[in-house]
Amino acid sequence: MTVGAAARMRRGLLDVATILVGAALTAGLVHIVAILIIPLYASNDAFARLSQLGPTNRTILLPEAGAPDARLFPYRDPAVAAAFCRYDLSDGPVRVKAPIARYEFSSLSFHTRRGDIFYALTDRAATQGALEALVVTDKQLRTISAHDSEDEAPRELRVVSATSQGFVMMRSFSQEPSLLPEAEERVRGLTCHAEPGAK
Amino acid sequence: MDLLVKTLIAGGLGLAIGLWSADSALRASRGAEGTRIGAWSTEAKAGTPEADPYTRATIERSGEIPLAPGEGLQLVARVDDSGAALNARCAYRVGRKMPAARFWTLGVVDRRGFPIPNPAQRLVFRSSEILREGDGGFTIAVSASAHPGNWLPIGADEPFYLALRLYDTPFSATAWAIDKDALPHVVKESCR
Repeated sequence: MTVGAAARMRRGLLDVATILVGAALTAGLVHIVAILIIPLYASNDAFARLSQLGPTNRTILLPEAGAPDARLFPYRDPAVAAAFCRYDLSDGPVRVKAPIARYEFSSLSFHTRRGDIFYALTDRAATQGALEALVVTDKQLRTISAHDSEDEAPRELRVVSATSQGFVMMRSFSQEPSLLPEAEERVRGLTCHAEPGAK
Repeated sequence: MDLLVKTLIAGGLGLAIGLWSADSALRASRGAEGTRIGAWSTEAKAGTPEADPYTRATIERSGEIPLAPGEGLQLVARVDDSGAALNARCAYRVGRKMPAARFWTLGVVDRRGFPIPNPAQRLVFRSSEILREGDGGFTIAVSASAHPGNWLPIGADEPFYLALRLYDTPFSATAWAIDKDALPHVVKESCR
C-alpha cells in the first residue's frame, strides 16, 4: 500500500465514524422528541375517539367490551358497563349527576382533554343516592367562590379541570353476565348539563 | 467527502433510527416505569399527570381509558410465573388468591388489549360468579380446550395476555406494595 492510499483510507474511516456519531446523536434526539410529542399531538387518543361518537354534553353508552364494534378502546372490562359525556367549559361550568344503585360498584372519573384523570369517586361517596359534581375552570371557581356564603362551607363538590374540554366517564359493575343490561341502564343515568351563571 | 453529504446521511440515518426505536419502544412495553409483581405488571400511574412519557405516549396511541387510582387497579400478565410468554397452545392454572378488593375480574385479551371472542362466550370471570373451594380459594383454568370448573377459554391461536382488574382496592395508589403471593399465580400445566 502506498502512503497516499493509506491516508485516503484513514480519511474514509474518519468520515464513516463522523457520520455514525452524528446519526447516533440525531437518533437519540428524534427518539426523545417523538415520545414527548405524541401526547401533545393527540390526534387519535381516547378523547378524539369519543368525539366521533356524539356531541358535547350528551351521555353516550359505550358498546359492550366484547362486541365487534367496541374495538376503539382497548382494555375495557367486559363485566363493566361504561358511558361518557364530553364537556366544554367555555360556555360555563358543567353539572354532572349520576344516580347510583345500592351495593353495586359504580364510579365517575374526570379526564382532561390531554387524558389526565383529575378526579374520581365511587358510589361510596354518594349522597342521597347520587353522585354529583360541578366541573369548572380555575377562573369559574374563583367567580363562584366569590358568591359563597362565608358562614357555610359550599355543599356541592367542585372539581377543577385544567383544560376547558374533557370528558366524564361513568362505570358500573355487573355481578353476573345477565346483569350487564342493568349496569348499562345505570350508566345511562349519567347527565351533564351546562350550568347557567358563572362563565 | 462533502460536509453537506455527510450531514444529510447522518441526519437521515438518525431520523430513521430515532423513529424506529421510539415506535418499537411503544410496541414492546407499556411504560418504562411499570411495576412487576411475579407474572403481573401494572402502570398504576397511567392516566395521571405523574405518568412517565412512555406510558403517556402508549395510552395516547392505543385510545385506552385507564382506571383512576380511586376506582381500581389493572394488572396485566404477559408471562407465566416462570417468566415464559403466555402461549395459546398451553393450558394454565390461575389462582388461588386475590388482593383485597370489592370486586375483581380476570379476562383473556389479545396483544392490543381486546377480549378474544370464543364459542363459550366467556370473556371474563367475576369475583361474584366464580366457583370457590371450601377455604375461599379458587382456581381458574385458562386453556383453549374445555375444562371443568372455572374455565376461561383462549379463543384464538395467537399470543394472549391476562387482564386482571381490582375495583375499589386499597392497593390502587400503592401497587408496588402488593405481595407476590397475594396475587394469583399463573402456572403452566401442559402444552400441545
